[in-house]
Amino acid sequence: MAQLVLKDVGYVYALKEGAGLKAIRGLSFSVEKGENIALVGMNGSGKSTLAKLLNGLFVPSSGEVLVDGMSTADEKNTFEIRKRVGMVFQNPDNQTVATIIEDDIAFGPENLGLPGEEIAERVRSSLEAVGMSEFASRTASKLSGGQKQRVAIAGVLAMKPEVLILDEATSMLDPVGRREVLDVVGRLNKEGITVINITHNMEEAALAQRVLVLRKGKLVLDGSPKEVFASSVLGACGLTLPPVAQLANRLSERGFELGAILDENELVEGICRRLK
Amino acid sequence: MSAIEIKDLSFIYSKGTPYQKQALKDVDLSVEEGTVLGVVGATGSGKSTLIQHLNGLIRIQDKKRGSVVVNGLDASKRKERARLRFEVGMVFQYPEYQLFEDTVAKDVAFGPKNMKLSKEEIDLRVRRALELVGLNYEGFAERSPFDLSGGEKRRVAIAGVIAMQPKVLVLDEPVAGLDPVGRRELLDLIGRLRREVSPTVLIVSHNMDDIASVADRVIALKDGEIVADGTPKQIFGDRALVESIGLEVPPAKRVADMLEERGIQLPPQIIDMDELEEALAALLKQKEGIADEAQTAEATCAEEGDMRSQDDSCAVCRKTPDEEGEDV
Repeated sequence: MAQLVLKDVGYVYALKEGAGLKAIRGLSFSVEKGENIALVGMNGSGKSTLAKLLNGLFVPSSGEVLVDGMSTADEKNTFEIRKRVGMVFQNPDNQTVATIIEDDIAFGPENLGLPGEEIAERVRSSLEAVGMSEFASRTASKLSGGQKQRVAIAGVLAMKPEVLILDEATSMLDPVGRREVLDVVGRLNKEGITVINITHNMEEAALAQRVLVLRKGKLVLDGSPKEVFASSVLGACGLTLPPVAQLANRLSERGFELGAILDENELVEGICRRLK
Repeated sequence: MSAIEIKDLSFIYSKGTPYQKQALKDVDLSVEEGTVLGVVGATGSGKSTLIQHLNGLIRIQDKKRGSVVVNGLDASKRKERARLRFEVGMVFQYPEYQLFEDTVAKDVAFGPKNMKLSKEEIDLRVRRALELVGLNYEGFAERSPFDLSGGEKRRVAIAGVIAMQPKVLVLDEPVAGLDPVGRRELLDLIGRLRREVSPTVLIVSHNMDDIASVADRVIALKDGEIVADGTPKQIFGDRALVESIGLEVPPAKRVADMLEERGIQLPPQIIDMDELEEALAALLKQKEGIADEAQTAEATCAEEGDMRSQDDSCAVCRKTPDEEGEDV
């Protein structure tokens, strides 16, 4: 069975006077272990709601979300599901609970009631995985944005999760911080952790194996970055192609066909092929 | 006329404690009215500290040395500083988190009300500000700001600032967190705001592409000092400079550099995708033998440093237009 399974999931935010806002409608898809997924869509399309449905922060209003076969609607599973599906949020300043970094990382494992040595080992290996070992005894408030997000990821890793969800985790970072976080996430994915990256940055989406596009709470596209970027409905979803792909398209319109271009390397290759 | 005059401005956080940090160091900056100034720099480089001096949110620490004057108003003088709050419109990061009223119209009216304007004038300004940011007054005025989409909320927040008709508008990461279409719309809006409300605009951003597309002039901060000041071309065309301040060059520049490494010569200082498109179209036209007088041979293939392999030959410099026969 797939690691994450959504069966006809709906989610309604209750508004005043009995009215509801349907944030997610009739959503069905599944995710296999180790996939690297980008989740994109315009503001208000339901991306963050979906993320919260995946680790049981929200329980579906209709349908079912299964994590390793466990339904998020059953409270007995909540603890196990939260352990398996970790989330990193947008704002690096809102995600630390302790002053000293190693205490912050230890917070999750401590709540699991693990023995001291096991906690220490998890703190050590998590910080190592995100390249922050030397900061273990420092204070989180003095870090850069990219470093804070890496600490937030380490905090999730200490729970030994199987799925890592990033909810616009790079959007407040400078280019160097963004690169640091993406490198760490890419490496974790290679080690087998499933990654779901919610992003507005289409260059990040191009790095994924699979792109899911939400529009008004529905899944409208699901495929490889190449397939999704070739779709004519992308614009209607509030999305644009990565800048290099737009350039390749405009050149194609002018008669210089370069084929489907996802990233800078492909563009350079395509142009060299044409020019030589 | 100079809109902003900053001289010898320094600022130290937690002065006299072990956590003391120098956020600004002897900054001199003069900005002409009518400029869209891009302010770039890595996290912690002093950008926010600098802009918060412009309307007196941060007081000048050493008044004997440093000075901040905006449109003739001196930030070190209490009365003038009070006027600066209206003269300099600040739109902070994620300004939608600062919406608080129960209707859009009330939220936008908050600033003008504090200016003690007449009710008619306030209504007029609210109406105009909403229309300017592309929100239809009739459609939005009575709605709750909390029921709007992220992009709409941000526009309401910006409308609340421009309703005060500030002469200087400061936007801190104005497009962060917006989807690509919202991003484009907001960047286009900046041009309109400059023409119709605030002649001088400062934009703080980590996104070099966005800055390259809207700014006339760019200053780069590093460790509290202005380390570069020039046109977007001068700054973003200089890879060593951009990387030394902890930023990345815009994607068009990166692609141009990669092509040059492969021996394809392009015009110097390409920093945006439109320029790159024109340069590439010109090259491809030459290669594919289409005569185009408008596109002269400004781009030619370098003979040296060409990393072509095997039998590949660069048609541009060898002038064999029909080699691959791809007629268009």
